[in-house]
Amino acid sequence: MSAILDHLPEFWQGLIVTLQLTAASFLGAAVMGLVITAMRVSPVGVLRGIGTAYVETFQNLPLLVLLVLAVFGLPEIGIKADLLVTAIVVIALYEAAYIAEALRSGVNAVSAGQGEAARALGLTFGQSLRHVILPQALRTVIQPLGNIFIALTMNTSLAAAIGVVDLTAAANRVNLMEAQPIPIFVGAGLAYALIAAGAGFVTGRLERRLVVVR
Amino acid sequence: MVSMKRMAAVAAVSMIGLSACSGTDSGSPAVPGEAKGGDLLAKAPVAAAADILPGSTMEKIKQRGELIVGGSLDAPLLSQQNPTTGEVEGFDADMGKALAKYIIGEPKVKIVNSASETREALLSNGTVDVVFQTYTITPERAEQVAFAGPYYSSGLTLAVRKGTAGIAKPEDLNGKTVIAGANTPAIPAIKKIAPQAKIVTFGSDPECMQALKQERGDAYVQDETLLVANAKKDPSVQVVGSPFTTDPYGIGLKHGDDQFKKFVNDWLKKIQADGLWQQTWKNSIGTVVQGEAPTPPQIGSVPGS
Repeated sequence: MSAILDHLPEFWQGLIVTLQLTAASFLGAAVMGLVITAMRVSPVGVLRGIGTAYVETFQNLPLLVLLVLAVFGLPEIGIKADLLVTAIVVIALYEAAYIAEALRSGVNAVSAGQGEAARALGLTFGQSLRHVILPQALRTVIQPLGNIFIALTMNTSLAAAIGVVDLTAAANRVNLMEAQPIPIFVGAGLAYALIAAGAGFVTGRLERRLVVVR
Repeated sequence: MVSMKRMAAVAAVSMIGLSACSGTDSGSPAVPGEAKGGDLLAKAPVAAAADILPGSTMEKIKQRGELIVGGSLDAPLLSQQNPTTGEVEGFDADMGKALAKYIIGEPKVKIVNSASETREALLSNGTVDVVFQTYTITPERAEQVAFAGPYYSSGLTLAVRKGTAGIAKPEDLNGKTVIAGANTPAIPAIKKIAPQAKIVTFGSDPECMQALKQERGDAYVQDETLLVANAKKDPSVQVVGSPFTTDPYGIGLKHGDDQFKKFVNDWLKKIQADGLWQQTWKNSIGTVVQGEAPTPPQIGSVPGS
């Protein structure tokens, strides 16, 4: 236990980085995911194709591979960014594929009549998506989005492998000195569990408030 | 102390001389890598039946017919898997095989790729019998695991891109970005000697080298042996100065198993005395570090061992 208490500042610093990673990459993934979803349900074939290719690509590559490629591969072609920034961008791009799939299932859940009615009112594709379809779609996928957020939180720990000193890396470093893996990693695990529980609580509340009863 | 060391060194050197003379079968350099390892293990001693005490860890391992070693697969010269043969080669790997032969009679080893963060847990829950993984003996770690040895003494030094100015000694790292292996003793060592340095860590040695070359840091702090081997392979990187720490490597064992610890220590003394230790060094680390094999550290000479 003292192994954790003696190193609270390191753990705290790591937790902040983990929260930064989580918040920033989820925000990025949400925006990107929305764009991909719009492409996938759009009437333009080329856009649908790009959207599908994006989702298939990112869902079929392990995140760690993408991270290592971005950190060690991109500098070879002259692109080198800060490690934290690289991690945020890569995690956002990766998770966007999952968010897009969740959103698309939400869009599919909105009855076709809604879209037809919107078109009949003279709304453009963008307008009907923005004002009619997506608001309803979003409400049905709150729980899946919450799950993606939790998975994303856990996935941020992979950033430790590319030199970002997040909660996982901080735990590793403390353990290196104290050699007490059980309390240290249980402690770090609890911190992740708390973030996940918080996300679960928020999505539960949101869902009860916003759910569309059909 | 100094004269003791010198005497031991002289003894060690003469041992090598002797073993070189007596080793009549070692004069076939046609297939260097494999033949050397095979030769080495052929000469490795086997414990007397009386040393395998009934009910002991040694007996358990012997009955199993395999020594389970916690180790690495990506540490050049120490414990690296050869992609063509699948064999794990290097100083630590050979030591593990020699210990297996001592217990079982055959060098049968299974290497569990243990990461620095799991070594203590793997030992205490019995997943591995021993850890050979540049495992630096520290008093904190000795509260969790037992250490036989030290069996090798190493030290950290720094590497920079060729032509880097202004980094000549570890103190120069202050204010610089320094690359280190995640979970290596380099991290606390850098913090101590250059508190203003910014430390970036990567999981493996190849990644750290790549990061150094891609200018993610100004220097890379790592075990001298690894760095020298790297610099030999890659002329764009150079090693600076001499080691600024002393890292005594121990053989990690389950905490409290004094019987097994004594057994392993006795084996270490034996292979140091008969020149096998020195030959193992020559075959691995000695292929990049100049000169004769160093004097092996004295068993039990550091706190925690």
